[in-house]
Amino acid sequence: MANGMATNVKLPELGEGVTEGELVKWLVKPGDSVKPDQTVAEVMTDKATVEVPSPVNGTVKDLKFKVGDVIKVESVMLTLEGAISSIETAASATMPIKTQTTSTPATTSMSAPLAASASYYPPVADSKTLATPSTRRLAREAGVDINQVPGTGPAGRVTRDDVMAGSAVNSATSSGGLEIIPSGAYKTPGIPRPGYQGPVGATEERVAIRGIRKKIAENMQMSKHIIPHFTLMDEANVTELVTLRESLKEYAEQAKTKITYLPFAIKALIATCNEFSMFNASIDDAAQEIVYKKYFNIGFAADTPNGLVVPVIKNADQKTILELSYEILDLAKRARDGKLKPDEMKGATITITNIGSVGGTYATPIINHPEVAILGMYKIQDRLVLGTNKEISTQKTMNFTITGDHRLIDGAVAAHFLKSFIRKIENPGRLMMEMK
Amino acid sequence: MSQNFDVVVIGAGPGGYVSAIRAAQLGLKTAVIEREFLGGVCLNVGCIPSKALISATHFLHKAEHDSATMGINIKDISVDMKKLVSWKQSVCDKMSGGVNQLLKANGVTVLMGDAEFKNSKELSFKSKADNTTQTEVITAKNFVIATGSRPIEIPGFKFDEKDILSSTGALALDQIPKSLVVIGGGYIGLEITGILSKLGTQVTVVEATPAVLNGVVDPECAQIVSRKLTKQGVKILTNAKAKSQKKSGTEFEITIEASGKEQTLKAEKVLVTVGRKPNSDQMNLKAAGLQLDERGFIKVDAQRRTNVSHIFAIGDICGQPMLAHKASYEGVLVAEVLSGMNRVYDVKSVPAVVFTDPEISSAGMTEIEAKAQGFNDLLISKFPFAANGRAVSMMETDGFVKMIADAKTHILLGVHIVGPEASNLISEAILAVEMGARLEDLALTIHPHPTLGETMMEAAEATLGHAIHVIQKPLRSVKNGKDVTH
Repeated sequence: MANGMATNVKLPELGEGVTEGELVKWLVKPGDSVKPDQTVAEVMTDKATVEVPSPVNGTVKDLKFKVGDVIKVESVMLTLEGAISSIETAASATMPIKTQTTSTPATTSMSAPLAASASYYPPVADSKTLATPSTRRLAREAGVDINQVPGTGPAGRVTRDDVMAGSAVNSATSSGGLEIIPSGAYKTPGIPRPGYQGPVGATEERVAIRGIRKKIAENMQMSKHIIPHFTLMDEANVTELVTLRESLKEYAEQAKTKITYLPFAIKALIATCNEFSMFNASIDDAAQEIVYKKYFNIGFAADTPNGLVVPVIKNADQKTILELSYEILDLAKRARDGKLKPDEMKGATITITNIGSVGGTYATPIINHPEVAILGMYKIQDRLVLGTNKEISTQKTMNFTITGDHRLIDGAVAAHFLKSFIRKIENPGRLMMEMK
Repeated sequence: MSQNFDVVVIGAGPGGYVSAIRAAQLGLKTAVIEREFLGGVCLNVGCIPSKALISATHFLHKAEHDSATMGINIKDISVDMKKLVSWKQSVCDKMSGGVNQLLKANGVTVLMGDAEFKNSKELSFKSKADNTTQTEVITAKNFVIATGSRPIEIPGFKFDEKDILSSTGALALDQIPKSLVVIGGGYIGLEITGILSKLGTQVTVVEATPAVLNGVVDPECAQIVSRKLTKQGVKILTNAKAKSQKKSGTEFEITIEASGKEQTLKAEKVLVTVGRKPNSDQMNLKAAGLQLDERGFIKVDAQRRTNVSHIFAIGDICGQPMLAHKASYEGVLVAEVLSGMNRVYDVKSVPAVVFTDPEISSAGMTEIEAKAQGFNDLLISKFPFAANGRAVSMMETDGFVKMIADAKTHILLGVHIVGPEASNLISEAILAVEMGARLEDLALTIHPHPTLGETMMEAAEATLGHAIHVIQKPLRSVKNGKDVTH
């Protein structure tokens, strides 16, 4: 764009408080060629007669004023053709440069960057973005354009936390040496992160949040932040299931495995999900769509010395109870030993948490986002119950909970789901009829 | 002979020396070149000496006018101008010496002498210390140009710094002139007017526009100062242009044109303060390939990088506002950019202070600027120093704190102060503006009593409509760009 472009020569600032000047004399006419710094006109101001230089060389094309005209500072006085700036390139000379146009010291306006590609994000001085100076610096260092970060503070102010959330999304460009959560954590802006100061002199120990604990914290916080949780609880008569499992003990020993209640619950869960497809689903928030999954990868929560881990049994609907048992034992052992491969903890479509082996009658589990439901199973208890004819008998009882994402699953639906699930778990024979 | 550095800063004013210190702190091999005095115009012939003289003459004025009211009778007050000037000089020397110590302590190589560009990578440097005519070549990975600005001269009034003065000459006077004509009623002109009129000089200010400090500060603030100067005996001629001068005997006859009519003023000395221009015609900047804008400022981007990527420019030479504190900010910024940090010039506002009597200061936008930025609904109010206990007890009650806020969010957009210690009070305001504070933030912060600072809290309250120590509603609000007067 060097040649052939017209360059505007403007009336420069003439001194403090001077806003205009009267054209006294043109020293060039159209067709003249001018050199950089050559005087092209004389302008008389309130305070002095000033010589106006050309910033570049070129040929005078057009004079915009005649002698006697009053010209405002910054007005274009004449245009030059074929202007080549005094230096290598004319790009900047022909580019409208926004400089400090006001003599008022209280304002600042930024010069447009000369370089085509800026290595920094634009300053907020000219925008209406509200953020403290230190937050602006933090954003720049984290590679976040603060003008694009939605502010959650008072009057829409962009807070430090907002920037950190933004930088997590933007982590590809995050630079070192910063206390910014590097992974995809806290994608949702606006989660407060208050500090904690214990009472003076209290015996406390501080340990950095790292590894699995950090991952758990991030996942749980995100899930609770995004998903409106609700939990439904009920109890099941598992007398038949207990009898069935007892009868299979010898078979299991021969097969060199141990059959727990979990594979039965998995099978009952899959069968129930086939009736209620919204439980084996995800919400794509970005697209505002519900994704119904036609495959069943069942996660099961495993307690390990390092904390909660959720191994995943892929395509559980295509596996027998025996096969499930093998896989559960294997995954659980390796989870305890910390030897699971990353893809063995990914891709669950729905999760079961079984704390019955430890104890507890009920819990309100947290859904493993982006799943939309989690089934809880609790300890088996002997109970005295009244039969239909008021006769007293004993039975084995097990509590179950279903926790759902209320955006997708309504309470009544969950009630029907749990009822259907319990009917299957109470009648293993019937379950087998409905198993695929 | 040649020397090589990571960074060479040219100019040791408040931009340059600050930049050099930070660059050295960050581990860069740094030199600073200065042709005259460390600390630049600011420390030697600008901010600092003028403030020394202003403090002294303020003291004098109080002794002459206020002390008797307070019951202190001082007889035979006289000014020893030689002593005053040498005290002023000792202040400058102390500050400049401090800069020297800081540069040395941080390992900055200080080169006293003249430099100009041979090309974009090399300077030719002529040392002053060696009393030599030989030049040496200085090379550097990066250059920072901080060579500042100088007073603008007008035709017919060539500075001799004896009788026709720039600010530099005026601050070095060792005798009190009987009379002085000041051409240009900007902040520099008025600060010197204040000094000399208090020392007894009959001062006439010739201002071309309709008001002094026009376009520099909030007009209401300027009015307070103008009124007080007039009361002090200063003659202010507005809409008046200086045309020519001639010396007759010991006096100058200055022809001015005021409101279409010519008239002649007589004065012992003439001071010309019509503004400053960048020193970009020096140092052979063309050899480095640097682009200037149409006003002679070196063109820079938001990191203060010029069109030549390893050369930076800071301070007066790269654009308005020509203020020392802006230069210092840029100096730090550039040094950090040079050491690989991601920095840009990113401030909401550069505060401005004018050391007239009373002082004026501002942070953020004026009403006009706020409207231009699209703030159509504004709250505007003032709180007078006359309602502040500390100001009354100081016998300095002229002036007010004026606040401008967005009516919807109450976010503080601008603060304009005219009054005692306005220069010190503005720091709270500029912090508030940078932090994006709302009026409530200022109003709900306990300000200690009895201090001038309470006026900030009260002005915020007044702008919200419920100041305690003044009977008023918000003076004005603007709705949809239109004034609504309460």
